[in-house]
Amino acid sequence: MDETVAEYIRRTVLKIPRDEIKSMLQKWGFLSEAQLQTINFHQIKDNVSQEVVHLCEENSANIKQAAVLDIIYNHIYANKRMWSVYQMQKTGEEPEIFDLQAFKKKFKRRLLSALENVTINFREYEDNAIWIRVAWGTPYTKPNQYKPSYVVYHSQTPYVFISASVLKSNLPLLCQALLVASNYHDIREMELRSHSLTSLKDIVFKRYSQNFQTHCPRAIQDRSGEPEYVDVRIIQENRSEKERIQRVTREIFGDGPQPQLEFARYKLETMFKSDPKMEVLDKKEPFRCLVKFSSPHLLESLKSLAPAGMADAPLSPLLTCITQKARNNFKIKEKSSFPESCVSP
Amino acid sequence: GKMGEGRAYSWDGVFNHLEMLEAQAHEAGRKQEEKKQQEEKLASLKERVEELRIQRDKLQAKVDLQKKRLSGKEGIMSDAAEASAGAVLEWKIRSIKGMLQLFYLTGISGKLTKQGVCFSISTAYEGTYLDSYYLDLLTKPAVRIHRHSVPVFIPLEQIAKRYLQTDIRRFLSVLSDHLNAYAGRRYQADQLQEHFSDQLEGSLQRNSLCNLLVFNYKVPSGDKTFPFSARLIYRDICCSLPTEVMVSSTVKAPEHLEETAAAHSELFRHMALHKAFCTFSNTEE
Repeated sequence: MDETVAEYIRRTVLKIPRDEIKSMLQKWGFLSEAQLQTINFHQIKDNVSQEVVHLCEENSANIKQAAVLDIIYNHIYANKRMWSVYQMQKTGEEPEIFDLQAFKKKFKRRLLSALENVTINFREYEDNAIWIRVAWGTPYTKPNQYKPSYVVYHSQTPYVFISASVLKSNLPLLCQALLVASNYHDIREMELRSHSLTSLKDIVFKRYSQNFQTHCPRAIQDRSGEPEYVDVRIIQENRSEKERIQRVTREIFGDGPQPQLEFARYKLETMFKSDPKMEVLDKKEPFRCLVKFSSPHLLESLKSLAPAGMADAPLSPLLTCITQKARNNFKIKEKSSFPESCVSP
Repeated sequence: GKMGEGRAYSWDGVFNHLEMLEAQAHEAGRKQEEKKQQEEKLASLKERVEELRIQRDKLQAKVDLQKKRLSGKEGIMSDAAEASAGAVLEWKIRSIKGMLQLFYLTGISGKLTKQGVCFSISTAYEGTYLDSYYLDLLTKPAVRIHRHSVPVFIPLEQIAKRYLQTDIRRFLSVLSDHLNAYAGRRYQADQLQEHFSDQLEGSLQRNSLCNLLVFNYKVPSGDKTFPFSARLIYRDICCSLPTEVMVSSTVKAPEHLEETAAAHSELFRHMALHKAFCTFSNTEE
């Protein structure tokens, strides 16, 4: 077995938390159950990884097989990477009979025809997600396994989730291969980025909880679950205002959990509106300003602003349109400060 | 008395006195009589007053009733009529609830919103209720979709482009067909994986729309099992049955199994997938 492969496997195992090494190796399926029994998973990780490498040598692992372990790790720890969303366009109207084998073939063929030194791996998951791992080389060097790009694609959707490697120059090649394989003709990056891949999927696939007005009796039942502890000694002075805020918040954010985003960025290119007497910035240039909201869970914190009394309800549409418009990066120009006038780069 | 005049007796004083007493008695009797008469009169007058009062009340009640009848038919009714009005309202509420339930059961229901209409499309497959999908439409200045929860692989934009502006009913009906067919296909695939996983070999390959299913399954023959491979293509995405089915055995199998493959192929074309598998296990027993 190649030394580079051995080193790669060793380093990949070291990344995995000790309690999960065994289950991930089982998922990988490259080592037999009998071989796994011989490993002592309770020793320090350095030793565990050495044992794994020895066993892989016995089975003569190659780099493609080693890469599968990397995909498994990244699938479980997808939130360690930053994901961007890309949208594809197509002209044709016929519904596609998406054939996975054809997709994989076309993708590989396109990529390999442009660049020989790449390692390409595919792995399909139950939710129709296709994970693609690409390690990039150059015409003269072998692929760098430590900086692969990850692509997650759900068939028959126009969205692709990419966690690019630092080597941005390979991105056009990757996009081209995706277009060819999926039968689309154009791809562009959306202004939507997060560490939570699931949340990005929820936003573009419209799986997040939206509040729709219906006559459906089920909806009413779902809401009546919480018991209200009423202490009669406490008098709510502004009960009606509180209820209004709850109602407005529910209308905007829905009842369920929000997708997890870490930031929302607003690049302002608007004129500074000051008192003319103050004579500040009498140049007629837009005042450039960048506002960034950061949070471990931005949308949940926005949802709780009004009920906590820290902001008026309803919140500014600039904040509440994030999931609806599927973007967390805005550029606001003059005319009106509403997202309708936003122009993405 | 006149008796005293014929005789000049010293009885004058006595007779005068007697006269006086008689007069007094007479007076007293008269007064008594008067009083009695007055009391009787008073009693009868009081009686009369009572009678008149009763009569007055009766007449007043009649007048009030007349007034109310004249002032308006929608007004307050007597107790008996009020009870029936309540019953009518109850019945109305019940029948509206029933109608909403009915619409919900037919799959498409709508509710007017401030800016337009919100439609909900419910899906079902052969008696099992599946997911519901929602569309929030704006009606001014033109009909357009504000937001929705339709999965991204359903060609909503195409359907909207064709029908939304011209024929909303058709739009909803076509969209409902797409959603119901998708829900049906997904349900069949899920049922297959859930209930017949022991007959499947490997994983069931599908795609987002569930319009291509590829799987391998075991067909028992005698005391051996033979691996078969099936490929179901649903070219009509408004249909929950496949348009093309290819079943073949993956290894060289005896002749009669080719017939089985053809039979299975036909079965998959016309019957729900999980039900088809049900019939396999039944015929084996």
